[in-house]
Amino acid sequence: MLIPLFLLVAFGAAVLFSAAGGNFQPFAASHLIRFSVFLIMASIMVLFTRDMARFLAYPIYGLILILLVGVEAVGAMGGGSQRWLELGFMRIQPSEIMKPAIVLALAKFYGTLPDGMIESWRALVPAGVLIAMPMGLVLLQPDLGTSLAIAFGGIVVMFLAGLPMRWFVAAGVAAAAAAPLVYFFGLKEYQQRRVTTFLDPESDPLGSGYHITQSKIAIGSGGFSGKGFNEGSQSHLNYLPEPHTDFVFATMAEEWGFLGGLFVLIVFGLILRWGLNVAKKAKDRFAKLLAAGMVATIFFYIAINLMMVMGFAPVVGIPLPFMSHGGSSMMTNMLCIGSLMMVNRWNRERTRVGIG
Amino acid sequence: MNTIAVNTTFSSGRSGVSTLRKRSITIARLRVLWVAIIFACVASAAVARIGYLGVSDNTIRTTSLADALLPPRGELTDRNGVPLARAFPAYALWYNPKALGDPSDPLVKSARDVAVELQAIFPALDIEVTAEKLAAGRPGYLQRRVLPEQANQVMAIGELALELPRETDRHYPQGSMGAHVLGYVDAEGQGKVGMEQVLNDRLTDPALRGEPVALSIDMRAQGALEDELRRGMLATNAKGAAGIVLDVDTGEVMALASLPEFDPNKIDAEGVNYMFNRVTNQVYELGSTFKPLTVAAAIDAGTVRDFGRRYDASPVEVGRFKIKDSHFIGNHLNVAETLIHSSNTTTARIADELGPTKLRQAMIDMGMNERPYIELPAKGHPIWPGEKWPRLRNMTVGYGHGIAVTPLHLANAYAAMVNGGVWRPATLHKIQPGAAPKGRRVFKASTSSRMRQLLRMIAVYGTGKNADAPGFRVGGKTGSAEKPGKGGYRQTTLVSTFAAAFPMDKPRYVVVAMLDEPKGTTASSYQRTAAWNAAPIVGKLIPRIGPVLGVRPDTSRDIDLSDLKPLLGAE
Repeated sequence: MLIPLFLLVAFGAAVLFSAAGGNFQPFAASHLIRFSVFLIMASIMVLFTRDMARFLAYPIYGLILILLVGVEAVGAMGGGSQRWLELGFMRIQPSEIMKPAIVLALAKFYGTLPDGMIESWRALVPAGVLIAMPMGLVLLQPDLGTSLAIAFGGIVVMFLAGLPMRWFVAAGVAAAAAAPLVYFFGLKEYQQRRVTTFLDPESDPLGSGYHITQSKIAIGSGGFSGKGFNEGSQSHLNYLPEPHTDFVFATMAEEWGFLGGLFVLIVFGLILRWGLNVAKKAKDRFAKLLAAGMVATIFFYIAINLMMVMGFAPVVGIPLPFMSHGGSSMMTNMLCIGSLMMVNRWNRERTRVGIG
Repeated sequence: MNTIAVNTTFSSGRSGVSTLRKRSITIARLRVLWVAIIFACVASAAVARIGYLGVSDNTIRTTSLADALLPPRGELTDRNGVPLARAFPAYALWYNPKALGDPSDPLVKSARDVAVELQAIFPALDIEVTAEKLAAGRPGYLQRRVLPEQANQVMAIGELALELPRETDRHYPQGSMGAHVLGYVDAEGQGKVGMEQVLNDRLTDPALRGEPVALSIDMRAQGALEDELRRGMLATNAKGAAGIVLDVDTGEVMALASLPEFDPNKIDAEGVNYMFNRVTNQVYELGSTFKPLTVAAAIDAGTVRDFGRRYDASPVEVGRFKIKDSHFIGNHLNVAETLIHSSNTTTARIADELGPTKLRQAMIDMGMNERPYIELPAKGHPIWPGEKWPRLRNMTVGYGHGIAVTPLHLANAYAAMVNGGVWRPATLHKIQPGAAPKGRRVFKASTSSRMRQLLRMIAVYGTGKNADAPGFRVGGKTGSAEKPGKGGYRQTTLVSTFAAAFPMDKPRYVVVAMLDEPKGTTASSYQRTAAWNAAPIVGKLIPRIGPVLGVRPDTSRDIDLSDLKPLLGAE
C-alpha cells in the first residue's frame, strides 16, 4: 500500500522540481524531507493500540480545541486574523490537525454509543456539538475551506455510523435553503466574488477569474501526453498562480498531459481503495469509522482541489494531498495515512470482536 | 426504507439485538458503498474534465507571433511607395466606473475637478458635458484618439476609472491629401468611401495584409493638384472644384481631387458632407470641352476632310430653338477657328453633318453612356439622351449640352483622343510596365494626330492661352457651361472646365480641372468663363507636376502646326 503513496510523493517532487525551474530548492527537497519526517510520525502512530487510541480520542480533540481558542485569542490580541501558533521550534495550524481529530473523536463517540440509540437525538446532538465547536472557531479565523473540510469529515463519519437517512436529507435541504442566506450575509466580499467568479470565470479573466482561466489553459495546453518534463510554459513563466501549492495539478497536467492526470487519479484511487478496504476489514465500529473518516478527509482534499483546478469549484485554497508543497497539509494527510496504517495493524491482530 | 424496518424491530427485546446488529452492519456496508460511489463519480468527472480540457482547444487562444507582428490592416502607398494610410497604434480614453470596485463612487476627486483636468489636456472637451458623463457613472469613450503624451498626462491625473485602452487606428500621414481616393476606416474597422472600401478584404486578409498596396496616385502630383485647385477655388469663390491627372497610355490616375475635401483622420459631420466625390460621382454638362470630341468624331467619320472649308456661323434655328454664339466671331469659320474661338453654331453644323447615329456611337465608344470605369464605389450615372436623338439634341450634345457626365468621363475621352485613339478604363491601381489594358479603339491614329494639333492650337491661339505653360506643349479646351436651373439655363451659375493634355507632341497625361460656380473676382479679371479661371489652374499645375511625372519642359520641341496655321484668320 505504501508503494502508490511513494510513487505519488515522488511524482509530486518531480513536479515541484520542475515548478522551481528545475531545482530541488526550494520546493522538491523540503517536500521529500517533510514526507520522510511525517512517515516516521505515521510509523510511530502504528504502534498505538486500539485501546490507547480510544482512550486518547477525547483528550486530543479537547487539546486541539483549546489550541484553536488560543489561536483566536492570540489573533485577537495581535490584531487581524491568525491561523497558526508559533511554538518556537515549529508552527502549527490547529485547524489542520482538527480534521483528523474530529474524525477520531466522532469515531470514538459512535463507537461507544449503544446500537439502539443510533436513531435517537442522543446520537445526533453531542456529535453535532463536537463538529460545530471547531467549525465555528475555524470560521472565525476566517477559513471557509478548512471549516467545510472539518464538517465534511464529521458528517461522513455520522453518515457511516448509520444515522437515519432522513436527517441527512433534511440537513441537505436546509443547507440548500440556507446557502443563499449564507452567501449574502455570511461571506466576506472577497469570498462572494470567488463564488461568482467560479460560476463565470471568463467574466473577469484578468481579475478574480485569472486563477481558474490560467489553470484551465495550463491543463488544456498539456493535451494528451503533455509538453514534457520541465517544458511547461504556463507554470515556468508564472502565468499560473501558485504553481507549487494549490495549482500543482495544473502544473503537472501541463507537462504530463492527460496521461499524467490519469496516473495521479489512479494512484489516488488506489490509496483511497486501500483505505476503504482497511475500513471494511476493521473489526469494530470505532476502527471502521476511524478508517472511513480518514479516507473521507483525504478524499475531500483531493476532490475540492481537483474541482477547483479544473474550474468546477470556487478557488478555496485547498492543496492537493502528497503533491502540493506545504507542511500543514502534508502533516494532516500523513496523520490520516498513519491512522489508516494503525487500523490496518489492528485488523491483523487477533482481537476480541465487540460491538463496542 | 431501512430506518422504518429498524424502528419496528427496536422494541422487540433481547432477541432483537442480533437482528439489530445485522441491520446496522448492512446499513454500514450500504453507506460505505454510497461513499465509494461518490468517490468514483468525482474521479470519473475529473478524468472527463482533464480529457475535455486536453482535447478541446477552446481553452487555448492561439495567437501566432507572426500574426501579432503584422499590421492589423494593410498599408496603402502611392505609386512610389510613399505611405498614404498606415496602421497606427493609438490610445483611446475610456471611462470605466467599476475600476475602483464601487460603481456608485467611481472617482477619487469630484467629477468636475476631473473634467477640468481633462479639459486642460484635451482643449476640445466641454467641461460641463464631461463632468456630467463622469457623474452619470456609465462606461464609455471620453475621447477616441489620445496621443502618447496626452495618455501620460491622463495617467498623471491619477484616476483609475480613466482607462487608456490601446486601439489600432488608421493614420493618414498626408492629412487630408487624397482623401477621396483613400476614404477612411470607420469605428467598426470597415473601410469607407475610397480605396479603403474597395480593398477592405485585401487589407484585412491575414495572408496579404503584410504587403502594402500601391495605388496609382503620385503623392507629389496629388499635392500639387489639390494645391492649385484650392487656390483657384478660393480665388474665384467657387462652390467646389474637381481635378484629375490621368496617364493617357495606361489609364492610371496620377492624381484625383475633389474640393472641399474631408480629413480621413477625423471624421465628423462636416467631413461627411464633403465625402461626395465631384470627379467620379457628380455629373455636369461640361459644355465646350465636348467640341473637340465632336470634331474628332467628324474627322474620323470622314465628314470633315477639308480643314480649309468654312462653315456658316450664323445662329442655327431648329424649330423654336436658336443656337447662338456668346459673341460674334465671324460669318464663316473653319474647323480650327471653330475650336479656337469655341463656336457653338459651327460645331452644331458639324455635328448635324455628322448625324446623330454616328455622334451617338462615338459617345458610346467613349463610355459616355455608362458609369465611369474606376474602382471607387461612388460613380455617377451620366444623364444620357437615350436611343433616338432628334436633330436638336444631336447639335447640343455636339457642344456639350443635353448630356451630363463626370469629369472622369471627360478625362478618359480626352486620353483616347490624344493617345492614338485607344480608350482605356481609368484605374487607381498601380499598373506594372507593359501590363496596361489593351483598351478599345475609338479613333483612328490619324484622327488622334490631327486632334493633337487642333488642341495645341487652342492653347496657343485661342481660349486656352492661360494654360499654355512654356515648354510643356499644352493643348486643351475650355468649357463654360451654364448650370441648368428652374426654367432653363442660368446664365450666371457656370461650371468652368479645362480639359488638357501634355506634351502635345507625344501626349503623356490628361489634366482636367473644373470649378463649380466660380464668381467673377479680381483674380479672374471679373470673368466667370473657363479661360479665366480653370485654364490658369492647369497652366500653373502642369509646370509643377510635369517634371515629377517625367515630362521636362523643352521650348525647342513642339508639335508641328505649320499645315493648319495658315488657315487662321484668312477670311
